Amino acid sequence: MLRKLTPYFFVAPLMIFIAVFTYVPILTSLNLSLRQWNFLTPDMPFVGLRNYEELFASADFWNSLWVTTLFAVFSVPLRLGAALAIASWLVRETLPARLLRGALFLPSVTSTVSIAVVFSWVFSTDYGMVNAVLATLGLGRPQWLQDPHLALWVLILVNTWKQIGYDIVIYIAGLQAIPQELYDAAAVDGGRRFHVFRRVTMPLVMPTTYFLLVISVIEAFQVFTIVNVMTRGGPAGATDMLVNLLYEIGFELFDIGRGSALAVILFVLLVALAILKSRIIGRKVHYEA
Amino acid sequence: MTRKLHSVIAASVFALFATVGTAEAATTVKFWHTFSKTNGEALNKIIASFEAAHPDIDVEPEFVGNYNDLVAKLQAAIPARRAPDAVILEITRYGLFANNNILTDLTPYVDADPLKDDLYDFAREIGVINGKNYVVPFNSSTPVLYLNKDIFARAGLSVDTPLKTYDDILKAAKTIQEKLGAEGISGIGAPGQFARWGLVMANDSELINPKTNEILLDKPNTIEAYQWMGSLVNEYKVASPDGVTDEDKGNAAFMAGKVGMDMDSTGSYGGRRKALGDNLVVRPMPCNKVCSVPIGGAGIGIMASSPKEVQDAAYKFVSYAASPEANAAWFAATGYLPINKKSAALPVAVKALESQPGIDVAINSLPYAHGRARSTFVTWMRTNEYKVWQSIALGQRKADEALKDFAEQTRKESQRAGN
Repeated sequence: MLRKLTPYFFVAPLMIFIAVFTYVPILTSLNLSLRQWNFLTPDMPFVGLRNYEELFASADFWNSLWVTTLFAVFSVPLRLGAALAIASWLVRETLPARLLRGALFLPSVTSTVSIAVVFSWVFSTDYGMVNAVLATLGLGRPQWLQDPHLALWVLILVNTWKQIGYDIVIYIAGLQAIPQELYDAAAVDGGRRFHVFRRVTMPLVMPTTYFLLVISVIEAFQVFTIVNVMTRGGPAGATDMLVNLLYEIGFELFDIGRGSALAVILFVLLVALAILKSRIIGRKVHYEA
Repeated sequence: MTRKLHSVIAASVFALFATVGTAEAATTVKFWHTFSKTNGEALNKIIASFEAAHPDIDVEPEFVGNYNDLVAKLQAAIPARRAPDAVILEITRYGLFANNNILTDLTPYVDADPLKDDLYDFAREIGVINGKNYVVPFNSSTPVLYLNKDIFARAGLSVDTPLKTYDDILKAAKTIQEKLGAEGISGIGAPGQFARWGLVMANDSELINPKTNEILLDKPNTIEAYQWMGSLVNEYKVASPDGVTDEDKGNAAFMAGKVGMDMDSTGSYGGRRKALGDNLVVRPMPCNKVCSVPIGGAGIGIMASSPKEVQDAAYKFVSYAASPEANAAWFAATGYLPINKKSAALPVAVKALESQPGIDVAINSLPYAHGRARSTFVTWMRTNEYKVWQSIALGQRKADEALKDFAEQTRKESQRAGN
C-alpha cells in the first residue's frame, strides 16, 4: 500500500503548489464571475450569468476583443518571423554574434514599466525623439500615441522589441539542434540556400516555432503593462486590450464580478486557441529529423 | 572595580529593556498617501514634527502613487486585510468607502476637537457625507492658471494680458503658438481632468450637481465647454495632444518651459515654482460666463478595521496635520490652500505670501469655490470621462454626441449604484 502511495508523496508538493496558485484562483474567478462584489463588502450576492450578459452587451468588451485580436494577429508573426531571421544569422559561433545575442536579449530582462515609460517619451508627439528626427527630415510629426490608427502599431513595435530577444535565444537553441549532416547532404544535392531553409531548417525548427507560437499568442492576449503605462487603453479605447479592460473594470470601477467574468472568458478563449493551434499546426510538427 | 562594572552593566541592561519597552508601547499608524517630490518632502517634515511632539505614536508613511492608484490598491488591500490605518482620499472618490463602512465615522472625534472651529467651512464641508464626517481635510485646492513669463515675453505678450474668457485664453495661446511654435513651444497645455471640471464650472455648468446628484454632462454649457477645450487640440492646435492621453506629460512639458499656459491644481505650485522660478506667474481660472471653481484635493480618513487605540492615535495625527502649524508649513511648501483659519497668520505662511508671488491666487478664488459631487458613481464617471475627453480632443467624436452618450451611461450607472 505504502509503496503504491510513494509516488504520490513525491508529486504532492508540486500538486499542492499548482492547486493553490493555479486551480484555486481559476475556480475562485469562476465563482466571483457569478456574483456581484466590489471588494469592500462581505456580501457577494449570486447574480447568475448577469455579468456575462452585461459584458457581451457592452461595446467596450467587443472593442477590446477586436483590438487584442489585431494585436495578436500582427505581433505574433512579426515576432516569430523576425526572431527566426535574426536567429538564423546569429546562430554562428562568432564573437560579434555572441555579443549581439546578449544585446538583443537585454530588453527581455529589463523592467517592462521602464521600457514603456522610455518609449512613451520616445514616441511623444511634440517632445519625442522619433518626431524630432522626422521633423528635421521634413516628414511632420505623426501623433504616434494619440492617433487611433497608429497607437496600436507603436505598442506592437515596442512589444516586439521587448520580447524578440527571448524568441531569438530559443530559436538559436532549436537551430543548433539540427544535425549538420542534413545541411551537408542538401549541399551535395545542390540545394540552394532558400530551398535548404524551406526544406531542412523550417521543418526541423517547427517544434520550436510551435512552442513559441503557443507562448507568444498567450502573451499577446495577456499584454497589460505596456498598454497601461503607454496609453492606458487610449486614445479613446484604440488600444484597450482585454487585460487592460479587465483591470479597469475590476480595479478602477470596483466591479469584481464583471472583471472575473472577463477573466473567465479570456481563459476559455486561450484554451480554445491552444486546442485550435494543436489541431491545425500540431500535426505538422516533427520532433525528430 | 568589579562591583562598579556590574552596576554599569546592570544599569545598561535596565536602560536597554526600558527603551525596548517604550518602543513596544509606541502605537504605529500606517499611512498611505499620494505625495512625492516637493509635496512628499513637505509631508515627511509634518510627520517628523508630529512624531517629535507625540513620541508614543509612530507614523509610517507610504507613497502609493496617484489618487487612482491609491484607490485601486486600497480596494485590493481591504479583503487581503493589509489595508493601512489612515489614508489620503481624493474628495470626490471617498464616497464609495464611506458608504461601505470601510471608513470610520470621525464625527465624534471632530465634534470633540477644537480644530472643528478652526477649519474653514469649505474645507470642513468636503469631509461630510449624509451628515457624517468621514475625512478630515488635508490638502485642499482649486485649479489656477499658470503662465510662463519668459514665453509670454518672447511672444510679445504681457503677463497681465486679459485672460478672463475662453476667447482671451485662445487668443493668447494662438499668439504664442504662432510666434514660438517653430521652437517646439505650445500655447497652452491640454487641460487635465481637474481643470476641465473648472472650465465647465466657469461656463456656468457642472458635471454632476453636488446637491442633487443630477447628471449635467449633456447640458448645453457643459457641451460648449468641452467643445472649446477640444478645439484647443484638434482645431486650433495650440495644445499638444501629448497632454490629452497623459496628463503627467502635459505637466512635465510646462515645467520644462515648453508651454506658455497651463491650468492645474494650486497644489502643484511648489513643484512648478521649483522648476520655473520667477518665470512662474499664477492667474485665476477664467470666468467665461461666471466665476466658479471646483474645490479639489483630499482628506485623511481612518480605516474602520483598525483597532481602537490605533484609530485614536491616527486621529491625533489627522488633527495635527490640519493644525495651524502643520497647515501653514504645508501651504508654504506646496501651494495647497490654507484650510485652517489660523494658518495664514503664522510666520511661515506670512513669509510665503510675501516671497512667493501667486501663491495667494487660489485663496482669493475661495469666495467662488464650490465642492463637488462625491456619491458612489462619481468614481465611475471620472474613470470613464478620460475616454470621452480623448475622443473629443483628438477629433474622433463631436462633443455633443459623445457627452450625450456619456450622460446616458452615467445615469444608468447611477441607478445601478443606487444613487
